[in-house]
Amino acid sequence: MTETVLKRPKYRSRKRRRIIVHSVLHIVLVLCSFVFVFPFLWMLFTALKTPAELLKGISVFFPAEPQWQNFVSAVQKIPFFMYLKNSLIIVLSVMTGTIFSATTAAYAFAKLKWKGRDKWFIVMLATMMLPIQVILIPTFVMYSWIGWLGTRLPMIVPAFFGGGAAFYIFLLRQFFKGIPKEMTESAIIDGANHWQIFTKIMLPLSKPAIMTVALFTFMGAWNDYFGPLIFLSNPDHWTLALGLRSFQTQYGGQYNLMMAASILIMLPTLILFFLAQKTFIEGIKFTGIKG
Amino acid sequence: MSKATTVTKLKKQENLIGYLFASPWLFGLIVLGIFPIFMSLFFSFTNYNMISAPTIVGFKNYEILFTNDDLFWKSLGNTIYHVVIAVPLGIVVGVGLALLLNNKIRGMGVYRTLFYLPNVVSVVAMTLLWLWLFQPNFGLINELFKPLYDLFDMEPLGWYLDQKLSKLTLILMGLWTAGGSMVIYLAAMQDIPVTLYESAEIDGAGWLKKTIYITLPLMTPSIFFNFIMGLIGSFQVFTIAYIMTSGGPSRSTYYYAYYLFDKMMIDKAMGMASAMAWILLVMVLIVTIFALRLNKYVFYLGDES
Repeated sequence: MTETVLKRPKYRSRKRRRIIVHSVLHIVLVLCSFVFVFPFLWMLFTALKTPAELLKGISVFFPAEPQWQNFVSAVQKIPFFMYLKNSLIIVLSVMTGTIFSATTAAYAFAKLKWKGRDKWFIVMLATMMLPIQVILIPTFVMYSWIGWLGTRLPMIVPAFFGGGAAFYIFLLRQFFKGIPKEMTESAIIDGANHWQIFTKIMLPLSKPAIMTVALFTFMGAWNDYFGPLIFLSNPDHWTLALGLRSFQTQYGGQYNLMMAASILIMLPTLILFFLAQKTFIEGIKFTGIKG
Repeated sequence: MSKATTVTKLKKQENLIGYLFASPWLFGLIVLGIFPIFMSLFFSFTNYNMISAPTIVGFKNYEILFTNDDLFWKSLGNTIYHVVIAVPLGIVVGVGLALLLNNKIRGMGVYRTLFYLPNVVSVVAMTLLWLWLFQPNFGLINELFKPLYDLFDMEPLGWYLDQKLSKLTLILMGLWTAGGSMVIYLAAMQDIPVTLYESAEIDGAGWLKKTIYITLPLMTPSIFFNFIMGLIGSFQVFTIAYIMTSGGPSRSTYYYAYYLFDKMMIDKAMGMASAMAWILLVMVLIVTIFALRLNKYVFYLGDES
């Protein structure tokens, strides 16, 4: 840094100085990227090592012979495919439920006038700011009263009633508002009712926004650990996140297998993120603007 | 006359249809959101183990927690330590990264994607990965620090196995996800009108001055938003400690939400757990209200002009 400052008078054009500054910046950014990305690579190298290579730290940087069968052993040590099935059941149900409850509510907020509309929305935002435990304990008790503990229902049913959907309702509402009034009004003149407008006009036109919601819900439900930890007491219902934790408690020392299992659970979200980066980043920005 | 009644009729109809469309969500909000809040307040004044009916004990749960429960204070202390360090540090790193990227450089999108990457993975997988990276004997971090340890002739750090460092280890791991707030900061920075910078440049302001007098003040709304959300989230820190340290060593990472979880899931002491939840609620509320007073230092673009 001091060097560039000292040399500065020598450069005649601003352009050359700019090039220097940008090169330094790129070096810093590459170093930062390294911090964010290298752990993933180290995870992969670890997953491919033999137990003996693990103990040698960085003196064995790459595995001498990649142990691809570590992935097979990791999968075989736990009922991986049962966990996968359970994860998919919950993830797909939550996605369906959230899209149903978020789109209907967003339609009510964007296109219909009803009493107390805006007040209810504020109430929902306020409940979101509360520590989750205040709500979690009573709902846990309520589920036990109606015999839902030990089933998957507490993980699935709330999604159909807007559980965790506040942000999506907000996002969809903005999108619906952008759809011109003329379209809905002419449909009403043609004799369509609101349900028909909703299903035949709104939903088809809102595919990008619905895709964003689907993507975020997938990530959230797939990665969720706390909900399943509380509600899925039956090991037959465990999701991959819970399965990975049980892997750790059983085979904690076998880091190569643990990293292999972790990679498998990370892979779907990483792939989805790379495929739909733009949708994702736009969605995140939206969260920030909300505040 | 008849026209007016048709209009009111239509309005009434729309009111009904509005409620119908909102009803799934509204039902959920009332039954799974609002009602439980009051229910947990009621539980907090009872003794309830989910087997026999709740018995009302007045303020006893609160009294026990405040006067006769060392773990309550210990876990609260741990949590406050976490909040006080993790929240400001997260903001500094997030804003710092955003400032680096806000320079019209080539490949900004690629860097942004890479920085954001850790945010899309499961917390369990992330924690297991860092458990391995921080592993004191042959984990990557101590291996990389080895020359430093040798240079200063010191013992390798124990990270999550050392009760003096365990909380800090979890906070450092948390910084790996700083790219999440960075995306929001960056979006806020890019919304700042270019004309502001241009007139500053005419006045001879360099990068540092532009950052201090334009960028940072105009970012205060998003910093403020992340600050509040960070506070609320950090008070509830649980999963990373549950996976990485199980609250140890010597309860040094036994956070408030962890103790609450044990009261609820292990002891099935729903009354006591509810009292803890309400204490947490009040604490978060007080801290948020204090934080909201900082709002007067927040610049909203368009306020002044």
